[in-house]
Amino acid sequence: MNVIHGLKEFFSFWSPKKPTLPFSVLFKKFRSILERNNRLLELMADMGDKLGGEYVFDSQYVLDISEKIGDLVFKLISDLSVMTQNENVDLFIAFERIQNDIQEELAGRRAFPMTRPAVLLDELNGDLNEEVGNKFANLGDIRNTLGLPTMDGFVITTRAFFDFMEANGLPKHIEHSLATVDIKDETAFEGMCKEVRGRIFEATIPRHVVSNINAMLDIIGGRRQGEPMSFAVRSSAWGEDSDFSFAGQYESVLNVPRKGILQAYRRVIAGAYTPEAWRYRLHRGYRESETAMAVGCQLMVEAEVSGAMYTYAPLSLEKEAMVISAAWGLGPAVVGGLAESDTFFLDRQPPHRVISTESGRKVSKMVMKQNGGTAWYDVAHDLQDRPCLSAEYIQRLAQAAIMIERYYRRPQDVEWAFDSKGNLYILQSRPLNVQPNQPERHRLYIDHASLSAQVLFSGKGTVVQGGVASGKVYVAHGDDDLKDFPYGAILVARYTSPKYSRIMRKARGILTDVGSATGHMATLAREYRVPTVVDTGVATKVLKTGDEVTLDAIQNVVYEGTVKELSQFEITQEDVFEESYEYRMLRRILKKINPLNLVDPHSESFKAARCRTFHDITRFVHEKAVERLIDLSENYQKHHDRMPKRLQFVIPLGLVVIDIEKGTSSPAEARSVTLEQIESTPMKALLQGLSESGMWETNPVAVDLGSLMSSFTRTFSSSLAGPEDVGRNLAVISNHYMNLHLRLGYHFNMLDAYIGEALNDNYIYFRFLGGVSNIARRSRRARFIAEVMECFDFLVEIHGDLIVGRVKKMSQERMVARMKVLGGLIGYTRQLDISMISDERIDLHLADFMQRIQTLTEVSDDAPMCELRPKDADSHPGR
Amino acid sequence: MTPQCANCAQKMQILILDDEPIVCKRLRPAFQKAGYEVETFIDSASAMARIEEKRFDIIITDLKMKGTDGMHFLARIKEIAPDTGVVVITGFATSETAKESFRKGAFDFVAKPFKLSDIIDTVRRLAENRRAGPS
Repeated sequence: MNVIHGLKEFFSFWSPKKPTLPFSVLFKKFRSILERNNRLLELMADMGDKLGGEYVFDSQYVLDISEKIGDLVFKLISDLSVMTQNENVDLFIAFERIQNDIQEELAGRRAFPMTRPAVLLDELNGDLNEEVGNKFANLGDIRNTLGLPTMDGFVITTRAFFDFMEANGLPKHIEHSLATVDIKDETAFEGMCKEVRGRIFEATIPRHVVSNINAMLDIIGGRRQGEPMSFAVRSSAWGEDSDFSFAGQYESVLNVPRKGILQAYRRVIAGAYTPEAWRYRLHRGYRESETAMAVGCQLMVEAEVSGAMYTYAPLSLEKEAMVISAAWGLGPAVVGGLAESDTFFLDRQPPHRVISTESGRKVSKMVMKQNGGTAWYDVAHDLQDRPCLSAEYIQRLAQAAIMIERYYRRPQDVEWAFDSKGNLYILQSRPLNVQPNQPERHRLYIDHASLSAQVLFSGKGTVVQGGVASGKVYVAHGDDDLKDFPYGAILVARYTSPKYSRIMRKARGILTDVGSATGHMATLAREYRVPTVVDTGVATKVLKTGDEVTLDAIQNVVYEGTVKELSQFEITQEDVFEESYEYRMLRRILKKINPLNLVDPHSESFKAARCRTFHDITRFVHEKAVERLIDLSENYQKHHDRMPKRLQFVIPLGLVVIDIEKGTSSPAEARSVTLEQIESTPMKALLQGLSESGMWETNPVAVDLGSLMSSFTRTFSSSLAGPEDVGRNLAVISNHYMNLHLRLGYHFNMLDAYIGEALNDNYIYFRFLGGVSNIARRSRRARFIAEVMECFDFLVEIHGDLIVGRVKKMSQERMVARMKVLGGLIGYTRQLDISMISDERIDLHLADFMQRIQTLTEVSDDAPMCELRPKDADSHPGR
Repeated sequence: MTPQCANCAQKMQILILDDEPIVCKRLRPAFQKAGYEVETFIDSASAMARIEEKRFDIIITDLKMKGTDGMHFLARIKEIAPDTGVVVITGFATSETAKESFRKGAFDFVAKPFKLSDIIDTVRRLAENRRAGPS
């Protein structure tokens, strides 16, 4: 007796608690969780939309919405605590941690996230300009976001600079010198500069900085696998390469061997105190406290040819030309104007035709010396007059430079090099200050141009990424592999699709008829800053392949022809939205809110303590709330005030339905409900899809032993039981809503959907987790499901066995059709993996499925929903 | 080639007042592109001084700002030049403030954040209204 009691006690810590509150109260909490959950997802999407550039928002907006979201998340956790009757300490701690980070951001206290004295280039991006200076923060974008080739390296941060200066008493010394020396006295000023530089050359670099630098050198050395290393050591100061360019003011040391890094570091730091650089700062009103010098150390390119490129040639803007200066050997020949070079003028418009070439006589070139440093060598006779760039090199360079320009929405001054193997490397890029010769006239041009250009359509759809793009239209059909997508074209497609990510680097702009601003494609368009408008409804009808158009994705207008004034205006206006403080703050805060890290509820890491964003918390709470509700409805039925009803259906789903509001027409006290009595729009559609598509395979599918055996090696969580196990399924419904947890055999489906009159409220969230059979078959099944869903406009993510699909903001009719597709899919996939013995089977099943689902999914809107099969693509475009 | 500027002479003059610089920075180029002559201000005192010296066709103003608040600014505009079209933009949109703005003579009331195309449409409507106006 006692033993049993003891066991009970022992196990009570994990067994679900018996509710001490009436079911109605607990159920109210569940609904509240669902409502808050939806509201949160909307607010997150709302914040994401603001990054597109179509909206004008201010910092007050960021403050308000962050507060709203924090408040909702807190209440969400509180609701869960009531429902589950436990304290959820881990969740609250996760919440406080995230909330605190957000508060710090909002208060403008950007805690130096990078307090290390040295960081690899791989970790850099534009947000770290304070830590690593603008030059290398930009190079981080170029390397890590745009994926353009750069040499490996690291940056010794501004933090290290402050530590170095402080450790040697330099700030005090400099302050004192400045106060005592008359800076108008040229000789005295130069004397002071020399004295300060002398101290820097003799100064000790703090031990933690040295050991960090050595660690970086070891990592890079490891990647070189013993190849000799030599570095370019360059300044990356605060303010350098930004509005004040400081171009050429600071020092670079080339071809530095490993053992020379520390001395080169001192030399670059000392470069901040040359009379020219120091005067420049004083003249610009910089304070001494604003002098901070990060120093980048990058492997040298053994350059065969190098130089600089301006994406806007210093001609009148109307000329629309780019210019490249190039010479044999290392860059300083060109950049420092130390030797003769070649000049190429190119058309800014793709395919970047060469307009003119001026070839200089290049008698000498700068090269790397064996033991460090540089030297001038004679150029071979036959090369002296030969242009040092081929047409192909010019083309590659032009495309890379334009990509950088588009990203920063500013003309760029790009330094580059080609090695002897023909590899292009970007050495650095800084904004080029181009002003129209006559700003007033320029302004007249702009409104005249935009007012007189023919508008093809405007104000349609949602801007995903702002910007202006001119180019030729390329209409992509459903089955297009995009191999022929021309560089510089504007992609026009019926749907957004993750597959367009492959042309993101080539496309100037993107327009789709249908699609959401939150998908994978949208994320990438923002990342690369490709002007993109989705959901226009008309793009494929109005535009044909080959049409020349200009997309103004700021004002959201598509013009006929090339309106070059618009691009010029865009690129010369004072402020770039993406570089504004508000934009960067919003983006940083979104990083603490939006990314979803907890995806698979059956994985080990699905824990409260693992929540890193508010989205994680939201997801976690939702999952736990549903689990709790299933538990309550199964185990504590006598506490109910809403009678759970068993669904009577031709297919044995073992489904229990809880009707929150107007979801069924069966009497309140009835214990069962029929399909005819279901009033819930999403549920009715799903069940119809299941039964009417005839997809529910009733013939037993032969299980081959091998695949069954392999399934035993997997660890199933307890909720994934055997195929005989149906009956623990639950749907919570209202007239427009359904939350369904459906376990069929080894497959676990979760569906959350709202379908009503208001387009903007509509969404479907579908999660599929499957099992049994080997990895290859499971992944074929995943591809099958993903293809079907993508075809029907779902945004699909695959994480191993787990497939998540989302679609939203479509008309009721279209949403209903999609629910039917899901119904069909649930039936069709029930034991699909068993038969997925080869890749060909995917296409076979796809064709079969599409044909069977077709009659169920016809909608009265303009177009068939899916264009997966080639025969559909034939009927495109111009429907 | 010089641009044939059909409406250079009678370009609509817009003044924009918002104490958050980002709002001015975004609105100025958008309205320039749409063919308006634009001046922007981030402090109400300077804007107040400017309307004393120059007539604007259209004024876009925030409501809640440091210094003079938008309601006073609106009232003063209507004293100096009653036929100026005023669009109020605010992040604190309540039906009370909306009502008060309309009572004080605002043409429209736009809640922040808003789409660029929305505010441009509002101003276009206002401009058309003025052209077809009672005078």
